[in-house]
Amino acid sequence: MDDLKHYLEYILTPSTPVFVVGALIVLLVPILVHFYISSATPYTNLPSILLIGPPGAGKTSLLTLLERGDNAVPTHTSQITQSVELTVSTDGGIQSFRDAARDDAPGSHKKFMLVDTPGHGKLRESAMAKINANDPLKGVVFVLDASALDENLQATANYLFDVLLALQKRMGVGKTSKAPHAVHLLLAANKADLFTALPASLVKSNLEAELGRIRQSRSKGLKASGVAVGEMDDEDNEDWLGEYGAEKFAFSQMREFDVEVDVVGGSVLEGKVDKWWDWISERV
Amino acid sequence: MLDTFEILTTSGVVVWSRSYAAVSPSIVNSFITDVFIEEKGAIAGAKDDQPTASNPPYRADQHTLKWTFSKELGVIFVAVYRSLLHLSWIDKLVDNLKTIFVDLYGDQLKKPNTTLVHCHKFDEYFDQQVRQLESSAAVKGSQPSAAALVSDDEAVSGNLGDEPPLPPGLKHRSIAQNGAQELPSTTESTPVVTPSNSRPSTPGTSHLVVGKGGPMAKMSRRARKMQNTSAPASSGDEGPARKAKKAPKKGRKWNADGYASEEDDVQLDYSAAANAATSESEAEGRSTAMESIDSSTWGTKTSKGQFVLKDLDDEVNDILASAQAKSTGSSSSGGLVNSGFSTISGLFRNVVGGKTLTKEDLRKPMDGMKEHLIKKNVAPEAAVRLRDSVEHELIGLKTGSFESIDARIAKAMEASLTKMLTPTSSLDLLREVDAVTRPSTFSSVKPRPYVISVVGVNGVGKSTNLSKICFFLLENKYKVLVVAGDTFRSGAVEQLKVHVRNLKELTQREGGKVELFEKGYGGDAATVARDAVRTASNEGFDVVLIDTAGRRHNDQRLMSNLEKFAKFANPDKILMVGEALVGNDSVAQAQNFNASFGQGRTLDGFIISKCDTVGDMVGTIVSIVHATNVPVLFVGVGQHYEDIRSFSVKWAVKKLLSNN
Ligand SMILES: Nc1nc2c(ncn2[C@@H]2O[C@H](COP(=O)(O)OP(=O)(O)OP(=O)(O)O)[C@@H](O)[C@H]2O)c(=O)[nH]1
Ligand SMILES: [Mg+2]
Repeated sequence: MDDLKHYLEYILTPSTPVFVVGALIVLLVPILVHFYISSATPYTNLPSILLIGPPGAGKTSLLTLLERGDNAVPTHTSQITQSVELTVSTDGGIQSFRDAARDDAPGSHKKFMLVDTPGHGKLRESAMAKINANDPLKGVVFVLDASALDENLQATANYLFDVLLALQKRMGVGKTSKAPHAVHLLLAANKADLFTALPASLVKSNLEAELGRIRQSRSKGLKASGVAVGEMDDEDNEDWLGEYGAEKFAFSQMREFDVEVDVVGGSVLEGKVDKWWDWISERV
Repeated sequence: MLDTFEILTTSGVVVWSRSYAAVSPSIVNSFITDVFIEEKGAIAGAKDDQPTASNPPYRADQHTLKWTFSKELGVIFVAVYRSLLHLSWIDKLVDNLKTIFVDLYGDQLKKPNTTLVHCHKFDEYFDQQVRQLESSAAVKGSQPSAAALVSDDEAVSGNLGDEPPLPPGLKHRSIAQNGAQELPSTTESTPVVTPSNSRPSTPGTSHLVVGKGGPMAKMSRRARKMQNTSAPASSGDEGPARKAKKAPKKGRKWNADGYASEEDDVQLDYSAAANAATSESEAEGRSTAMESIDSSTWGTKTSKGQFVLKDLDDEVNDILASAQAKSTGSSSSGGLVNSGFSTISGLFRNVVGGKTLTKEDLRKPMDGMKEHLIKKNVAPEAAVRLRDSVEHELIGLKTGSFESIDARIAKAMEASLTKMLTPTSSLDLLREVDAVTRPSTFSSVKPRPYVISVVGVNGVGKSTNLSKICFFLLENKYKVLVVAGDTFRSGAVEQLKVHVRNLKELTQREGGKVELFEKGYGGDAATVARDAVRTASNEGFDVVLIDTAGRRHNDQRLMSNLEKFAKFANPDKILMVGEALVGNDSVAQAQNFNASFGQGRTLDGFIISKCDTVGDMVGTIVSIVHATNVPVLFVGVGQHYEDIRSFSVKWAVKKLLSNN
């Protein structure tokens, strides 16, 4: 009992050791807590590339191909987003994704996250949320099925419209505060191995035409429930994709918002995705 | 026999599969879409970790799918077979394989940020289970042993890597499928081809194997043993197996990944030597030993096979038995002190976050959530289903840092509601009308008018909402033909006439055009509708809007007319008008209408009228979407022609979760 009293007295009397220990605690605890928390969530800081697109386009196949480096595995409809940690070369030591997938790839490399998202209409919420999240998002790869674009043009373009609009708004928000870094979009026209597949140039022009039509009809569409009448005019302007009031839509209009759009064909099945990989490597 | 067995993750990657007959991937895709994503057919609790027998079988295109799901790992096990066959042992097979797979590869599946699962060895376990269950179901006879032989042969040829120099007669007829069998092989490994055809009951194949087995009886015991041990492993297994190579252990020991450490050594080196595909330095050291076996490789199958299968049997039985024991004996745990401590830390965790949620934690707040939804006018059965699905989703999860249970529940409920209410494909009405009336010059489709019809019970506002849509179309300069399809209730035609006159006046300067098509009373509504569509396409109208007679959803006679109507008018969109009001039988109405259009035709969407009168109590929307899986497309919000809105999921979810 006496011991305890003594001890308390010592601690409560101002003296150099007590000050030093106290100061150390005050300084160190926040730092340690910080390290504890940041080590508990190790992956949040990796740059990420988002795979997005309509169902059955080949997103998951592409993901497995890039992860394995040799072949894609069979896939079915995805229900959840799936991230995979991949590496790109920073010094040009690795040329293709095939080498990058090896554990003992030469040269120095950098890790990033490739994020696959489900394409089903009901499950797009989370993918769209990722565009707006504060993650270090470096690029969006919109995968589409070039062999069935005729039938799916409307559905594909509708989703693409939402994605582009989200990217545009993302930049718009930044104008008031600090500008967010630009996020570019790659249109990966997959399944070029099939004979019905359209070449990239046609994919581009068909999508541009359809996006233009969607833009027209959306601007005239019904207001969404919950939007008050007064808000109408601002809304109009904000939901217009690309150059305001322009007759035709072209991907080049997205440059105004710092969104570069590239259209590149390829085939996951045949492993012809090198150009996509190069695009991804450049962004990371 | 089974056509296909697949093990796939919720992220869509097939981690293991065995295919005996080609099955279109679209069958499994539609199974996932219907059962897991759209949750059709009120399969509540489908996401449970329940045994296969309790999951309703899914049928598509002459195939039946039996399945089970591991929620924790996000893995679906599905067996596909012809609906004609009656395979009583399938349920057991799926359950057992799940238990074994989870036991062997659960750790791999839990790894974040990868889709790789090394599970080539699962081939044998699969064969073992098929053989065991099939033979226990079949009458005793020669079949079991034949099955054993064949599946053994399979293990051997699976062994030899890319192009197994198969003995003549053992050529597998389904090599083409093997592409689909090259499961997660890693970068450096030779892709493992697992010939997959052999049906245990195919007499031809099994005879051949027996024949081949003959000469091998002469082999030395040692060599046989070597063969035996090399049989099960597959050359593609790498990673853990390769590490094990450095320090071989005595005897067969199964590590966490399910590889037989010692035997794998031998096996790996053997295949490397045989294929010269993997150039590993260690392989050379042992290659002499391997060569001695090489000459006698081909045919120790019979004897060796039995060895392997015996080992495997024991191991599998162990796994299954321990899983059984776990599930029966895990109920009592922890003493008083223990539970006291966990309560305190639970309270702490509840504030700081990182708490693992249990059923007990969730029961009260989840019931509160259910009550809350019911107060918002959500039908009790829909509220219960939402509660159960959210609860199930949350059990075993950890709350985020500084996140309370209530906040976590609200987040999960928001996600659940959003998923339920979001339509599979969004509707851009004007764009759809354009696509039909002005198809692109490339396509061969002829332009035709776009047909919309509205149905519903009496007095919900069918004509009013039809007029609102008409007004919207006229504002956008379309030519609209309004059809008086209510040939039943007196005054209905006149009412529509008034609407059309008003609309004409209102939109004169907009440039649209609207006409009324009517044939008076007493005629057959379906015929009137068909004639109207014909007229419209002759006279260049863009859109045909068909009003129908209101009918009580339990009036058999009138409801049965709808099928003929749908056939004759063949509308692009059949929309049902329902009321947002509290306390009517909206769920039963929606269900009956949805089922009344005959095979293959359902409602395309709902218009919910009078939303302005209910404030936040928009639960009806949830109830009817829950009951029918048909999306809400428009909501009516007032008495004027412009008071129609496209339905916003965010808006509805916000109202449903708001606290007033
Ligand atoms: N012919 C051909 N088929 C491909 C190619 N890429 C993917 N596929 C096939 O397309 C189908 C769908 O591929 P997934 O990767 O599952 O599609 P997804 O985009 O992930 O689809 P969701 O998960 O539903 O959004 C699979 O059966 C693939 O085998 C390709 O380049 N050529
Ligand atoms: Mg996918």
